[in-house]
Amino acid sequence: MPKSSFYNEELYPSPMRHTWNEFQRNHIALAGLWCLGFFVLLVLLGPWLLPFGPLDQNTEAILLPPAWDANGDVSHLFGTDGIGRDLLTRVVHGCQITFGASLFLVLLAMLIGCSIGAYAGMSRGLRASIINHLLDAIMAIPTLLIAIIIVAILGTGLMNSMWAITLALIPQFIHHTRDMVRREYKKEYVTAARLDGASELRIFFHSILPNMIEMLVVQATMALSVAILDISALGFLSLGAQSPSPELGAMLSDALETAYVAPWSISLPGAAIFLMVLSINLVGDGLRTALKNRLSQ
Amino acid sequence: MLIYLGRRLNLLLITLLILCIASYILAFLFPGDPLTNLSGTPSPSDDQAQQLRLMYALDEGALAGFWQYLKLTLVGEWGLSLSSQNPIFDDICQFLPASIELSLYAMFVSLLVGIPLGIIAGLNHRRISDMGILSVSLVGFSLPVFWLALLLILIFALQWGGLPMSGRVSLLYDIPHQTGFILLDIIMSNVANKQQVLLDALNHLILPTLSLSIVTSSLVIRLTRRSVINVMASDYIKAAFAKGLSRPQVFWRHGMKNALLPIMPQLAMQFTVLLTNAMIVEVIFSWPGIGEWLIQAIYQRDFPAIRGGMLAVSALVVIVTISVDLLIRMIYPLSKKQIHAQV
Repeated sequence: MPKSSFYNEELYPSPMRHTWNEFQRNHIALAGLWCLGFFVLLVLLGPWLLPFGPLDQNTEAILLPPAWDANGDVSHLFGTDGIGRDLLTRVVHGCQITFGASLFLVLLAMLIGCSIGAYAGMSRGLRASIINHLLDAIMAIPTLLIAIIIVAILGTGLMNSMWAITLALIPQFIHHTRDMVRREYKKEYVTAARLDGASELRIFFHSILPNMIEMLVVQATMALSVAILDISALGFLSLGAQSPSPELGAMLSDALETAYVAPWSISLPGAAIFLMVLSINLVGDGLRTALKNRLSQ
Repeated sequence: MLIYLGRRLNLLLITLLILCIASYILAFLFPGDPLTNLSGTPSPSDDQAQQLRLMYALDEGALAGFWQYLKLTLVGEWGLSLSSQNPIFDDICQFLPASIELSLYAMFVSLLVGIPLGIIAGLNHRRISDMGILSVSLVGFSLPVFWLALLLILIFALQWGGLPMSGRVSLLYDIPHQTGFILLDIIMSNVANKQQVLLDALNHLILPTLSLSIVTSSLVIRLTRRSVINVMASDYIKAAFAKGLSRPQVFWRHGMKNALLPIMPQLAMQFTVLLTNAMIVEVIFSWPGIGEWLIQAIYQRDFPAIRGGMLAVSALVVIVTISVDLLIRMIYPLSKKQIHAQV
């Protein structure tokens, strides 16, 4: 007996669901998401699974090649560096520092940037004009350059480099939030809310914010990849995290002296940075395409 | 247009003024004596200190002090470097051209590679070639520039041994410093067997330029591809097809210009990204540029040099951005309508 359908039921997915469906159709982006999930798991669980500490030195196994090499040993899967520290342990801890710090500072920059951007987007006149012009000038300067300048002022160190990159990322968030708020502010549903007597704050939190949260996520993934690249670049230049710390960039600059005899001590930490940034970019790209497809339908 | 020109020049002047103010304030924020931070004299005797206080007008209030500082900055009196006691302005004039040179070549290479590939990808939207180019560009875009430079050194300089890994030209040749651009300097100088020296300098250029331009060309590819896709989907392209023009005709007559002109500012903006990346790459390749110099200054806590270097680099970036913006406005009529500030 065929199923009778009394009601012509159609499925209307929620906007988030719709974006997710679009996102799933892009297999490469999905792979990026899995890869990113793997890194998140690694950052959360990795340090508990490893038998060595990031600073433990095994003087009997100095410059041991990775396990897949003929001279390698399986107890040090990625080999060891110039003073016998296990490279796998250091890479995992490095991911924790680099990824964790970047995530934290992007969230902070997003929070500050969005509040200022929302304020700038909803205000009119001279104040808005001053913010606009200053922003345009600052946006033109690359974040890494601003970060280097701020580190030069604050002094070197992981904390200082994190502050520097946070400050350098804020203008982008301000810029995007301001544009978005301004665009949404002209639409009719906001006018309707205003006619209902909603206050500015209520309009922002109940009408505008839900509509821009996805764009903000896309913006945050872009900022996250920039932050990871910048924090490791500062670490590499010894302006950020300092030498014994297993931050990935600092590890690379540590390994420079043994680069010729131990190329793996350069290629592996760098590959970790590369994979992290690649997966984040894949997810960000996929999200952006998914959003665009959804909005164009 | 004149109004626009005025606005932009205004913005340029104000930004430069803000940078100057920031660098003046920095002298007071940095640890140590402001007088030392301004002049670069490590520990001046009483006489010297008195003279310097007069020179920088430190006792006449902040505004007069800043005015004096501004005048000194404009005539090129940027103080002395704490570590080497060289005049900072001369140092910057010597090192900045090397960075600009490197960034210019890298820019040239990445435009040469990026634009055609971006156009091919954009014209074959959602086909194999598009996917291939897009994935390659995504990979290139995710590569940390310092890691890439190290890998290139490992592969081409250490394993293969065919390319030099540091410096601008072999130490055997002594090239007098004239413009700061190494190739120009070589051509202008009267070194024996000029051909060979030029070839050597080009060999030194390959690795730094390559590591810079891989990252930038992937950005250029993405920008170009997006723009070409947008243009090819627009109505006037459909109209051109409807008139019976062939694909190449449509693209060369209608698509190309409209796709490339709007992204010119963004393409030109890549120069500032390049300059920043060049600062990192210089450290790796011991390229005697502003990045290497500035980072040495940061290590040595050489505050007058940090102040000067920061001012020079950020001023260069702002000047480049604004003048490119102006240039684009002049040749691209559509953008003349939007005279308000935009990025």
